[in-house]
Amino acid sequence: MSRHNPFIKKRRCLFFLFLFLTLAACNVHVPKDTQTLVWHLGAEPDTLNPILATDVYASRIDSFIYETLLERDNETLAFKPKLAESWEASPDHLIFTFTLRPDLYWHDNIPLTVEDIIYSFQRIMDPKVDAPHLRVYYQDIKTVEKVSDKVVRFIFKKPYFMALEFCGGMPIVPKHLYDNGLHFNRHPTNRAPLGTGPYRFVRWNTGKDILLVRHEKYWGKKPDIRSIQFKVIAEDSVALQVLKKGELDLASLRPIQWVRQTDSKKFQEGFQKYEYYTPGYSFIGWNLRRPYFQDKRVRKALTHLINREAILKELNFGLGKLTTGPFYIEGPSYNHGVTLDPYDPETAKKILHEAGWEDHDNDGILDHEGIPFRFEFLIPSGRRFAEGLATIVKEDLSKVGIQVDINKLEWALFIQKLNDHTFDAVTLGWSFGFEQDPYQVWHSSQSDQGSNFVGFQNEKVDALIEKARVEFDLKSRSQMHQEIHSLIHEEQPYTFLFASPSLVALNRRFHNVKVYPIGLDPLEWTVGP
Amino acid sequence: MDGGTMIHYILKRFFLILPTFFGITLITFLIIQLAPGSPVSLKLLGPGGAGVRSDLISKEVIEQTKKLYGLDQPVYVQYGKWLKRLVTLDFGDSYKDHRPVSLKIREALPITLLLNIISIFLIYLISIPAGIFSAVHPESWMDKITTLLLFILYSLPSFWVAMILIIYLGGGEYLDLFPIAGIVSYGVETLPFWNQVGNLLWHLVLPVISLTYGGLAFLSRFSRAQLLEVIRQDFIRTARAKGLSESVVILKHGLRNALIPLVTLMGTLLPALIGGSVIIEQIFSIPGMGKLGFEAVLTRDYPVIMAIVAIEAFLTLISILITDILYVLIDPRISFEKVHQ
Repeated sequence: MSRHNPFIKKRRCLFFLFLFLTLAACNVHVPKDTQTLVWHLGAEPDTLNPILATDVYASRIDSFIYETLLERDNETLAFKPKLAESWEASPDHLIFTFTLRPDLYWHDNIPLTVEDIIYSFQRIMDPKVDAPHLRVYYQDIKTVEKVSDKVVRFIFKKPYFMALEFCGGMPIVPKHLYDNGLHFNRHPTNRAPLGTGPYRFVRWNTGKDILLVRHEKYWGKKPDIRSIQFKVIAEDSVALQVLKKGELDLASLRPIQWVRQTDSKKFQEGFQKYEYYTPGYSFIGWNLRRPYFQDKRVRKALTHLINREAILKELNFGLGKLTTGPFYIEGPSYNHGVTLDPYDPETAKKILHEAGWEDHDNDGILDHEGIPFRFEFLIPSGRRFAEGLATIVKEDLSKVGIQVDINKLEWALFIQKLNDHTFDAVTLGWSFGFEQDPYQVWHSSQSDQGSNFVGFQNEKVDALIEKARVEFDLKSRSQMHQEIHSLIHEEQPYTFLFASPSLVALNRRFHNVKVYPIGLDPLEWTVGP
Repeated sequence: MDGGTMIHYILKRFFLILPTFFGITLITFLIIQLAPGSPVSLKLLGPGGAGVRSDLISKEVIEQTKKLYGLDQPVYVQYGKWLKRLVTLDFGDSYKDHRPVSLKIREALPITLLLNIISIFLIYLISIPAGIFSAVHPESWMDKITTLLLFILYSLPSFWVAMILIIYLGGGEYLDLFPIAGIVSYGVETLPFWNQVGNLLWHLVLPVISLTYGGLAFLSRFSRAQLLEVIRQDFIRTARAKGLSESVVILKHGLRNALIPLVTLMGTLLPALIGGSVIIEQIFSIPGMGKLGFEAVLTRDYPVIMAIVAIEAFLTLISILITDILYVLIDPRISFEKVHQ
């Protein structure tokens, strides 16, 4: 048989292909621009229209392009003027009057007027506009009216302590671009936003990146960073590799990345890591409609059975703080006087015994009045933390004779089960603004349709929530919130878990970086070599 | 071959495709609508966490949103409207960002096509020669090693291989040879044209490797088995007896006959070309069809799901037809008349 082999020829072809690729690769680098901040995006936003957008990525990008009437001070978190140079509230807290700065122009040099604000409000309220998530906030505004070219007035139907936040933080879009007969939801400006802020939109490569550049005619203090590029990288483990290559400057880290994968000397030299707490917490919610969760002693016992310190260490490498209630752990509403229920299986057993839960039929599972203590633990799929937590809880509760069946569901199904109240226990996290109204999660009126899906009902808490909603003094309102905090902790409708920090890594090329509760503020950074 | 019979046959098959196509889309439409989870509640309680709703108002807002998406009508009306638009090749607007679905597919399709064409080409380029080699030297140690190697590759999960490639060949810690995210560099438009092409190919190296290695085993085994069977037949012995060189015997007489069954595989090729790989596209941040379809399912973006299903169904049906026609053209034992009777 001849030794001539056709395979050799093919192999030569492959070799040339490889050679070609290597040669091509030498010449294809795009030089890096050190004046650009390259920021990781975990997913691409759907739209950059601030009225339609629902995701955090859009609001992050929009915050550099669009501006609102007021903004929060980085340090004090109090409102300060932005587009409005001054504002005034009527004594009954129903009318808010804002006076605009005289020197406001959209990025295309058209002046920003009161008409833009009124138009934006009308679009939010327009049922044909796909902004239901925003509309619910603005239902209590009776009207927004023009007083003069530079003065606008918001009139509310009833007083509410967050009214100022709603009008001061309302997204404002350019009427002169949108109001041209094209449909608002499909308008081209949604993908080429135009605002009044310190950065101008340049381009959006679908699925790849979004580029902003400094607006040289900005009315306020101009930032030092010349442009900001948002790169879409879906996998966070890949994003970390891209960061290490130097092709990203700023990226969020997962706890394991923070602790284990970014501790090399090389990384420390190139990057600085920052940690801060934004308002939010994770929890296990007990559906109070289920017989075994109706007794608050049982819920207390469950909390005693869950070793939260160990879970925090195990799953989050100790990054986070244990919480006892539903408020921002670094805010004035959080009641630091409430003590944490420790991990204590013995006490838990005693409490369960007192509440009548014992293994009467000797099947290894506790029961009471013929009902076995066996429930379904609903978790969203694809969340490592929830999966780890559910496994540990299942293990711990089985030791005292409570059977937990883990039910892992995809997000759309998960929230449907929450809305239909067809779950027993669930783990989830809430995140919220700095101003917090416990109404939607804790008021009894919200247990049928609203976010109070565990069905928590408590007259005292209801009364306090209602009172706090119309209390305009921060100090007395915070006191009411603290009282709500201790009442809710007493009732334990949730087993409160942790407040988790935001973890980020930033290239050391950027200086003057300060950490605020609000996060990092690239507008004040300077760029070094 | 009688051309008239062939046209008759193709027409008849084509008219059978239509009801099958509508059946597929109708069933899919129903399944999507019946599946739990709704785009409206996802919009109100997004994946970010906190959802704000106050009792009565939220019902009103939910109704408004349903109306906006056209979900307030009965399913048969919705399907009718969908069909009506389909006739003009209008797939509607995505719920997610309100852009036309056809535009979103036009953006994603070329990327996936490019990836798939390259990787399928490489699969054929590598595995058929490998198969020939094994068939020509059956049971030799090289045959055994290739077989073992290809099966090892076949059993490695692609997400794992992709991550290993990224960390060791493209990450910042070991070798930094290849880009690991996207399909071109940011700012590539500043380069001359051929460098742009180079930049694209450079980006495709790792994803193409991840897409290719797993497909080698099947095809090389397939061609090995086919060729071995043909080589044992009489006409090969005749060819050798005539004194033809071994390569002519194998390549011209053996391989041509051995690869006829490969035509059956062509039927799966066309739909496979546009169906992207969810995992590889996700890992390498490639905005292709796999990612588009996967995200549409998660966000219950009905118009996008329906469009992808419709295109896939159409391509599958067409390629089944093409396969049948090819068979007749290649293999004289099959004819239109027999099918016709």
